[in-house]
Amino acid sequence: MTSTRRTVLAATAFAATLALSPAFAQAPIEIELFFPVPVDGQLARDMTTMVKEFNEKHPAIKATPVYTGSYDETLIKTRAAMKAGKPPAAVIMSANFLLDLKIEGEIQKLDDLIKTDGKTNDAFMGQFFKALHGNAVLDRSVYGVPFHNSTPLLYVNADHFREAGLDPDKLPTNWEELAAAAKKLTKREGDRVTRWGVMAPSNYDYGGWILQALTHSNGGQWFNPEFGGEVYYDTPSMLGALTFWSDLVAKHKVHPAGVQAGGAVSSAFLAGQASMMLLSTGSLTHIRTNAKFPYKVAFVPRNVRNEVPIGGASLVIPTGVEDARKKAAWTLITWMTNPEKSGWWSRATGYLAPNMAAYDLPEMKAFIEKNPDAGIAVKQLDVAKPWFATYKTVTVRKAIEDELQAVLSGKKQPKEALVAAQKNADEIMKPFVEQTALKLPTN
Amino acid sequence: MSGSGIATGEFSPKLGYGATLAIACLWMTPFVWMLVAAFNPQSIGAGMASLIPDYVPTLANFREAWASADFPRYGLNTVIITLGILAVQLVTITLAGYAFARLEFPGRTLCFYLFLLQLMLAPVVLIVPNLTTIAKLGLYDTLLGVMAPYFASAFGAFLMRQAFRAIPRELEDAALIDGASVLQRIRLIYLPLAKPSLIAFSIVSVTAHWNEFLWPLMVINSPDLRPLTVGLASFTRGAEGAQAWGVIAAGTLMVSAPLLIAFALFQRAFVNSFVSSGIK
Repeated sequence: MTSTRRTVLAATAFAATLALSPAFAQAPIEIELFFPVPVDGQLARDMTTMVKEFNEKHPAIKATPVYTGSYDETLIKTRAAMKAGKPPAAVIMSANFLLDLKIEGEIQKLDDLIKTDGKTNDAFMGQFFKALHGNAVLDRSVYGVPFHNSTPLLYVNADHFREAGLDPDKLPTNWEELAAAAKKLTKREGDRVTRWGVMAPSNYDYGGWILQALTHSNGGQWFNPEFGGEVYYDTPSMLGALTFWSDLVAKHKVHPAGVQAGGAVSSAFLAGQASMMLLSTGSLTHIRTNAKFPYKVAFVPRNVRNEVPIGGASLVIPTGVEDARKKAAWTLITWMTNPEKSGWWSRATGYLAPNMAAYDLPEMKAFIEKNPDAGIAVKQLDVAKPWFATYKTVTVRKAIEDELQAVLSGKKQPKEALVAAQKNADEIMKPFVEQTALKLPTN
Repeated sequence: MSGSGIATGEFSPKLGYGATLAIACLWMTPFVWMLVAAFNPQSIGAGMASLIPDYVPTLANFREAWASADFPRYGLNTVIITLGILAVQLVTITLAGYAFARLEFPGRTLCFYLFLLQLMLAPVVLIVPNLTTIAKLGLYDTLLGVMAPYFASAFGAFLMRQAFRAIPRELEDAALIDGASVLQRIRLIYLPLAKPSLIAFSIVSVTAHWNEFLWPLMVINSPDLRPLTVGLASFTRGAEGAQAWGVIAAGTLMVSAPLLIAFALFQRAFVNSFVSSGIK
């Protein structure tokens, strides 16, 4: 009895698939999605779950999620695979690498795909927060679709605040208040510090981003968002930002000296060894799950104005991916960035959902109601600006990060560090500048 | 050299032991921390930095690490890669070592130095050209593709050449008179006498490829073909997030344990071969 029923069911199911998708008879189109794991390991599993669901709903496509290391390693692997003639169909790429990839001709314009869907570029990008456009739309063409995004946030241990006589409902809004609170929060036993007032990460990739947040909060710009050959390292706004960070270490002694990695900062915060920290919204879920004390989040404190850079990653299609594979990649990309999936991924990771409609869905509303900290992260997007992106972003970024690390280790003064960083960065961007802004008529 | 060293001609044994012990402690610290952290029930917190366990040990970290990645499959892939590379290498370095040590042919020295030049290249420089070759051979995203670039080893060929040259030629001549072919002479005369070098090279090769991360990350796309290092990294290397130290420590312990156990079992043989082959 059961076996006959099962046979009938199977036959019906088989007939249904045949009828619904004539393409099913052919082998599905195989595509790869390169993805870095920027947050914690659970995400590698979440990504696998997500792609599996996509494959079930799209029988004509078989997508494979390929773990590709950090953001920087993902860039190396993508470039190596392209040179070997095996470009992946889609890549989750650090949002500030897009400009350099575009300059090198390594990623495709998505305009024609958007047009085929019956949309204009403006209408398509209109679904995403305005702050995210700068790193995705280059020369009026769409090169990337925002997948998950972040901004730096101020995290505060509310218990420590109360204990130090500070009001956890009135978090520091400017640098003055931040330094004053940090001084009150720092605990010492003789010369030894047992609790730091504030910590911020200064390892590669992270350090540059936090320094950009401080620079923007100080009225600065860091780079020319319209032209990939200019950075403003040796400027008063940057000098103020770097000096402030360096003062927290050397003058106020409320921030540990030397290079602090992102993981070490959040571990110190969770362990109660740091009372405040500047860290990505991408860590929100991790902090929420692991903090054994009440915590609060706020905008990054300002000196001149409230402004921070965005972070995170976009989906891109490398050059050389054509026809059916390109179309399949586009199906995957639009599916992964739809409001529902965008919201699901955001709740799983703590990253912001780039698709604004995600925040109108009932499950997202309920989530923010329950976790108001996630709502503050979204509000900060209103004052967010593009992440620095130049010709050879990674090396130009390292030029300042090496100097930042030297300053925080007490080996250099802020001014001389910025002069050196500017000189190095200009040197790196020289070939590009000579081919663009300085390429003049000779006769 | 200290004054007492010159006077007695050598360091006093006590001082030597003391220094060894101090260095051993320094080297052991990260390992001890990993052990302590791996069994710590609290993955984050003030106790994590401690080297002395102050908790009831738990296997929860191991359970979570085990669930985070398909360790048996990744382990099998790593074993296939390391042993596959080693098997081919042992053949190629023996033949190359013999050729450089004993065969007379024009341009031998030049060839040998060209071969050694390979040691000077940083492996990262070769990623793109190697990957291009691998793709052309149809080995992209295969375990063979991970292994292929390592089938020849300049270091191994050099090591075997030195070992073979130290073996008296008279032994080979005697075998020649008895009618032994080239391969027989290598197998029966040279290889048994060069065993320490072979073992020493095997250890270096196995550890290097067991721990390799970047090259397999470049070649492999399919989740089923990941080696341990890449599988481990997928849940331990968070750029923007914080890290669950206990789980990382447990995962790292699981990845490094097979090598550690192997070393503990064959310790004496390993140390002897390192001493007699001159690698330190």
